[in-house]
Amino acid sequence: MARSMWRGAIQFGLVTIPVKLYLATESGGIGFNMLHKKDLSRIQMKIYCPEDDEVIPRSETVRGYEWSKGKYVVVTEEDLEAVPLKTVRSIEIEAFVDEEEAEEKGARFVKQAYYLEPDEIGRKAFYLLKSVLEESGKVAICKIVLKDREQLAALNPFSKTILLQTLHWPDEIRSLEELNLPEDEIEIKDSERKMAEQLVASMGGDFDPEQEHDEYREALMQVIEAKVAGQKPEPAKKTEPTKIGDLMAALEASVAAARESRRGGAAEKEAKPAGAKTARAKRTTTRKAKASEEEAPAARRRKTA
Amino acid sequence: MSSEQLPLPVPSAPDEPPLRLPDRVAPMQATLVDAPFDDAGYFFEPWWPGIRAFALAERGRLRLQADGLADADATFPEIGELLGQLGEDGVALDGTLLVLDDDGRPDSGLLRARLDGNLDAGRPAYVASDLLWAGGEPVTRRSFRVRRRWLEALLTAGDRAVAGHGYVGDGTLVAEALATIGVDALSARQLSSRYRAGPAGAAWLRAPIIPAEPRPRPTLALILRLPLD
Repeated sequence: MARSMWRGAIQFGLVTIPVKLYLATESGGIGFNMLHKKDLSRIQMKIYCPEDDEVIPRSETVRGYEWSKGKYVVVTEEDLEAVPLKTVRSIEIEAFVDEEEAEEKGARFVKQAYYLEPDEIGRKAFYLLKSVLEESGKVAICKIVLKDREQLAALNPFSKTILLQTLHWPDEIRSLEELNLPEDEIEIKDSERKMAEQLVASMGGDFDPEQEHDEYREALMQVIEAKVAGQKPEPAKKTEPTKIGDLMAALEASVAAARESRRGGAAEKEAKPAGAKTARAKRTTTRKAKASEEEAPAARRRKTA
Repeated sequence: MSSEQLPLPVPSAPDEPPLRLPDRVAPMQATLVDAPFDDAGYFFEPWWPGIRAFALAERGRLRLQADGLADADATFPEIGELLGQLGEDGVALDGTLLVLDDDGRPDSGLLRARLDGNLDAGRPAYVASDLLWAGGEPVTRRSFRVRRRWLEALLTAGDRAVAGHGYVGDGTLVAEALATIGVDALSARQLSSRYRAGPAGAAWLRAPIIPAEPRPRPTLALILRLPLD
């Protein structure tokens, strides 16, 4: 796996478990490069100092904090290392809370997920912690410093490791108040609820992420590949126009198959394909209704223009 | 001169009857039941996943009246072809508007694209299930058995519009079949019943079809199915 992006230790009580952090996810988007339109060469972003009117290398930049308008104090790497906070090199567990409670109180607003990997000396304690979390259904709420910021995070058992999910601070979670959400005013009839429940039941299933994929990305990739091959990308294919009759044929075939599979058992009563006649009606031009109860209304006998 | 003698210089027959179809048809609403069933008094057909729509044809003009859709004619202009398949004038059909994909299957994504105004999306189709007016007369007081026969007789099957196929009696068999092609509900119409606006009671039932095995992903459209009243 890729290299770890953080190294430190889980701390709680007197326990220290040295771990490494790895990004658990990556972005699946298609990367583009910015080019100069005229000659398709890669452009470069330069760091420009307007004071000296020159382009400067990154190595000549420092971090500055604006403490008063136009006045800065320089903060170095050493300063950051020396921040007097326990969490600089540690994952400091604050509390173990019930999973549901954590969800309700903001653990759903996940920023990023990381995998933990215990160092050799911490393995036993790591798996002990994991198994206790699993059995108690608890989540460890902790703090960690990542990318110059102290982050709130949750530790959750996941597969053979523990997942660290960085969360948003409460003040980063926006209020719902500005949105128009009149849940209380909506009346739902029993029939509507029943319809919705049936719909949900009919789509019930297991969540299989393997079945899900980014179709936009695939379609875009096709466009790109076609361009690479020097062709014009086909617009969303329009082949042989489809006919509603094909759908009716599919229906008939499925009913025939269902009847066939039932026939394995005892004698069967026949279902009459009453609608099947319509397909034939095309050829036999006009098929007159016969029985007296089928007599056409008066207007039907009138010649239609 | 002649203009005084002929105040209405219309070339068509002077005794042309006035338009008779109503502006809007009040829909019958199906009753939800828990499961498919067998009953020789019922006609079973797929609850096609699309938009409930009435097609009203009069004097060579077709109007579509669809659930929650202001101008269905503009959204589904192709359905105008239906006129050529009708053996009569003054006809009102109850049915479902679908948008088919390249494989001829109803597709919810394409239907949504249509509703969003993309007139290139998919291929619209209309499946007629019931006949409310024929020859400029209401036929709603007739039994469904009769209305259905007339529907089949006066609507010739075309590439875009058909009288939907259905089966008498074996609701559970049809439900099994529909589960295999990804349709999630069954429509059951009582052969002896009239068409009435509003709740259908026993005249028209809707039963859910729950596939034995969950399908990898919903194959047919599930859209605009909740009643919008």
